[in-house]
Amino acid sequence: MDHLFDVSLFASTLRLVTPILLAALGGAICARVGLFNVGLEGLILIGAFSAIVGNHFTGDVFASIIFAILCSVLFSMLFGYMSIHLRANVIVVGIALNFLALGLTTFSLRAIFDVKGAYYNKDMVGLPKWDIPVIKDIPWLGDVISGHSPLVYLSILLVIALHLFLFKTVTGFRLLAAGENPTAAKSLGIKVTRIQYGAVLMCGVLCGLAGSQLSLGNVTMFTEGMTSGRGFIALVATMLGQSNPIGVAASSLLFGFMDALSIRLQGFALPTHFTMMLPYVVTIAAMLFFKDKGYMQEARKANESSR
Amino acid sequence: MLLQMNNITKSYGNVTANSNVAFSLRKGEIHALVGENGAGKTTLMRILYGMENPTSGEIRLEGKPVSFSSPEDAISHKIGMVHQHFMLFPTFTIAENIVIGREPSSGIGFDRKAAAAVTEQLGRQFGMPVDPWKKVGECSLGLQQRVEILKVLHQGAEIIILDEPTGVLTPLEVKELLIAIKGLATQGKSFILISHKLQEIMEVADRITVLRDGKVTGTVEAKDTDAEKLSRLMVGRDLVHMSRNEIPAGKPVLEAAGITIAGSKTKPLLDGVSLHVDEGEIVGIAGISGNGQSELIQAISGLMKVDTGSVKLLGQDITGEQVKAIRERGLAHIPEDRYQWGVAKDATVAENGLMGHADRHQRYGVLRGSGIRRMVGEWVSRFGIKTGSLSTKAQYLSGGNLQKLIVARELAQNTPFLIAAEPTRGVDVGAMEIIHGELLKKRDAGGAILLISSELTEILKLSDRILVMFEGRIVGELNADNATEEHISLLMAGGKAVG
Amino acid sequence: MDKLVSFIRSMVQPLLAVIVGLAAGAIAIAVVGGSVPETYAEMWKGAFGSFYFFTNTLSRATPIILIGLGVALAFRAGFFNLGSEGQMVLGALSAALTAIYLPGPAWLKLIAALIAGIISGGIWSAFAGWLDAKYRMNLLITTLLLNYIATLFAGYIVSYPLKDRTGSAAMAQTMMIDKSVWLPKLFKGMSLHYGFIIAAVCAVLLFLFMRYTVKGYEIRMLGGNPLFASYGGVQRGKMMLLSMFVSGGFAGLAGSIEVLGTQYRYLDGALTTPGYAWSGIMATLLAGSHPLGTAIAAILLAALQTGGMGMERNTEVPLEVSNIIQAVLILFVSAKITYSFIKRRKAARS
Repeated sequence: MDHLFDVSLFASTLRLVTPILLAALGGAICARVGLFNVGLEGLILIGAFSAIVGNHFTGDVFASIIFAILCSVLFSMLFGYMSIHLRANVIVVGIALNFLALGLTTFSLRAIFDVKGAYYNKDMVGLPKWDIPVIKDIPWLGDVISGHSPLVYLSILLVIALHLFLFKTVTGFRLLAAGENPTAAKSLGIKVTRIQYGAVLMCGVLCGLAGSQLSLGNVTMFTEGMTSGRGFIALVATMLGQSNPIGVAASSLLFGFMDALSIRLQGFALPTHFTMMLPYVVTIAAMLFFKDKGYMQEARKANESSR
Repeated sequence: MLLQMNNITKSYGNVTANSNVAFSLRKGEIHALVGENGAGKTTLMRILYGMENPTSGEIRLEGKPVSFSSPEDAISHKIGMVHQHFMLFPTFTIAENIVIGREPSSGIGFDRKAAAAVTEQLGRQFGMPVDPWKKVGECSLGLQQRVEILKVLHQGAEIIILDEPTGVLTPLEVKELLIAIKGLATQGKSFILISHKLQEIMEVADRITVLRDGKVTGTVEAKDTDAEKLSRLMVGRDLVHMSRNEIPAGKPVLEAAGITIAGSKTKPLLDGVSLHVDEGEIVGIAGISGNGQSELIQAISGLMKVDTGSVKLLGQDITGEQVKAIRERGLAHIPEDRYQWGVAKDATVAENGLMGHADRHQRYGVLRGSGIRRMVGEWVSRFGIKTGSLSTKAQYLSGGNLQKLIVARELAQNTPFLIAAEPTRGVDVGAMEIIHGELLKKRDAGGAILLISSELTEILKLSDRILVMFEGRIVGELNADNATEEHISLLMAGGKAVG
Repeated sequence: MDKLVSFIRSMVQPLLAVIVGLAAGAIAIAVVGGSVPETYAEMWKGAFGSFYFFTNTLSRATPIILIGLGVALAFRAGFFNLGSEGQMVLGALSAALTAIYLPGPAWLKLIAALIAGIISGGIWSAFAGWLDAKYRMNLLITTLLLNYIATLFAGYIVSYPLKDRTGSAAMAQTMMIDKSVWLPKLFKGMSLHYGFIIAAVCAVLLFLFMRYTVKGYEIRMLGGNPLFASYGGVQRGKMMLLSMFVSGGFAGLAGSIEVLGTQYRYLDGALTTPGYAWSGIMATLLAGSHPLGTAIAAILLAALQTGGMGMERNTEVPLEVSNIIQAVLILFVSAKITYSFIKRRKAARS
């Protein structure tokens, strides 16, 4: 077992944490405006698939990422329209969105590539690996931190950017206000609906990026339902991080590490079934430390007597 | 004339909330708008504040006709409103709450230091100092009210609408507020004060407009009128004075000894509360809401665990028992907030009526529909509950009718002990008289009732004994015969009992 | 009159959704170059075209109905139980193992297998309920994650300790269940078995239970307003464990019946690949958690799937078109279309 905690484990942690982190940040923004986005899973899946589609048709990585973002945004806006405009139950819409994403991707996989289950083509270009000039020469650290896809570095920048946005800008302040007390915000002339749509849009962008990293970051391929619960793990990361970008990053890191460990352990003489369980078991265990708001409060909010 | 509202009519379907209402405001004036619940005061002000469009009628500001389609329009015309339920953000600081919507900025950044400076300056200018960095959630309600007014002033309001501003304040805070309003009026601000507390209005208002059933029944100068005349305008007739029969108190029904609930804050939610309610007795609990009344109700009815102390019902210890077991031993409960605790909005009238009665209307666990409908139908006719049918969903009933349904349901439990928390909150005079009458009837029949109300008049009218709660403790006990409003008010504010 | 209006109103939304779903399907068909009327005709034939196809559809609907009923019960109580898949898998595994390894007469094995399925599905589900009641862990997420754990665990069992080593040995599966323990078929040569009768009876029973019993009333009130229920003396924690147990029990029963009536062994992936659990959840959403409606919606969804297979056999259009119709259906039912429509009309009038 002495090779377990080696450089490649930490390097792959960084790579695997990225989709979870990006989606969790998206979930955090939605949570901040009062939308519990269960549809993260579906949004990532859409992003992952459309990144491959973009790649297939353009052969350009940048264009595929843009295409992935556009598609994810389209679906997140659908989520927004349903839950904000039509006032449907957010959770139900989120679940439905996951179904829609799964159905649409399997159909399109068939319609576009004429394959079932998975699509892989060696001619497709994956995300480039960036070497960070000075850091790459530092012995251990260089191998861990350097040589990842640009999205990995972007996700780290986005954590900081989102933190600054929420807590240091006027728009961020209004976003927090719209989530904390929508009625009050409305009475002050703050466009709550517009802010909510903005948040959903940002979430779409982030999930598009998350999907791109998933399908283009490591191996360039798409498999049916390849998110395999990452969206929900991201949701837990959002909750554990209390929708605070830094906190979300910390909890995503934990789950990404478990993901990496689970893959790493497959090299050892353990049944894969148990190593694959690891991320889910750890996620559930981590939830022990986060107390849900509790039904009393939820119900109180839902049955508010004031207008 | 600064503001004129002429011939305002607002109808929702068949219901007319305002009918040909005329209202005017002079500069620097405090103009009170009074009336019963549902008389149309709030609707009129929502129209002025751009939250509703009038069906017909016009609004003139300084002679020029205006129309507002949203609160922002109203705000930009220097009209501000302090809502009955505060529009504040508890986790934000006072400064953030005051500048929100008009934040001082540097680039896209929010300049919180400038916000604090603005807040301090504003507080100084209008004589209402606040600590800009304090979180609003940690402020007393009086201070929150102050933040609301400063926020409106920061928006540049010249006309300020205050909707029931004193409902949640202690008497001392009310005094401070009234002084502040008068001070601002002398600085040229104009106020519209919605209230049903005639004494406060007589103290502070220059002019008074009375609404009844959506119509103006009079606009008078404060110096030409008195509380009696106003209440006649409000109600349209003299109020009947209910008389309470004197009956000797019987055996104790409910005994609570030293109930303490620590809670998560530094001060305990309940701090050694002891009380007893006897047969044929209504014990009133007076106090500003939020001083432990909710916790006391929940502790007695089994909805909240107590840390120390005990509750006995009919001599048997019920501390820590399940709600159902306590109810079966003889407790019924009119909850303080009907929407939160009292009903399921999506369920029908019959289903809402069944709660707590299910065991009497079943055989082998199967409900017997006809019996249930007969029971609820009987309440509907006896209490005059206006509902489409027994299958109408509760959410379509008005607040007053829903309250009557809840009261009927709990009285029909026919238990020796009843908790009646805010039994008439938000209901009209007619319903209030019915509910009060029923409570007194139950008492005369030997029932024990614990009445919790933030309306002093209700407490004084119904109670045989009055307990006053302040910060989780019972700070005074008075007899119905020698209790005065002044005395109770003093205790409610945490003052010492005299005599 | 009142009832009629409210009935019509309640029908508008699902009908509208079906129309929109079929329209979306039509677009998908057109995109892949199929003829819309022809394709839909093939789809209809594939689902209801003959007695054989019809019974085939009902047989596919059987597990979907049962799962849908379980989810409906949990939804009605206010709990988002998305763990049907894991509950079904554990139920199926326990039923298969009981039927294989329990000694005794066949009828006893059959009943014991069904009960074992119900209990293990129920316990797995109640476990999530317990985590919520005791540690306030979000039920929606725990049930979801427990799916992965359950399927992986079942996969392990049939890959290593209890793997069928008699046959070709490549498959991760248990041994075949003895023929005497199989659920009998309803018609000779058809796939439909007695499990469908069980599912139909369960739907009616659940409907009666929710509507006419004290416990059903309490569950509905708990879902409507949990504070009101607790104020009235309903114990939330107890009800949560109970309704989650029954909910998971239904999923476990679905798995057991599928094993005893169709598969005759536990084969890794045989229950998860067709997505029975997710179809069951969809059926519940479609029907707004109404038990009888859930059963009908389950048959509709099964028809979409079997119809899709028929369509794929006879046209160039891929089976996945059904997935699109399903997903769009759900999405539109979940939105309160009529609600906001009425609201906007009111706003326009005033």
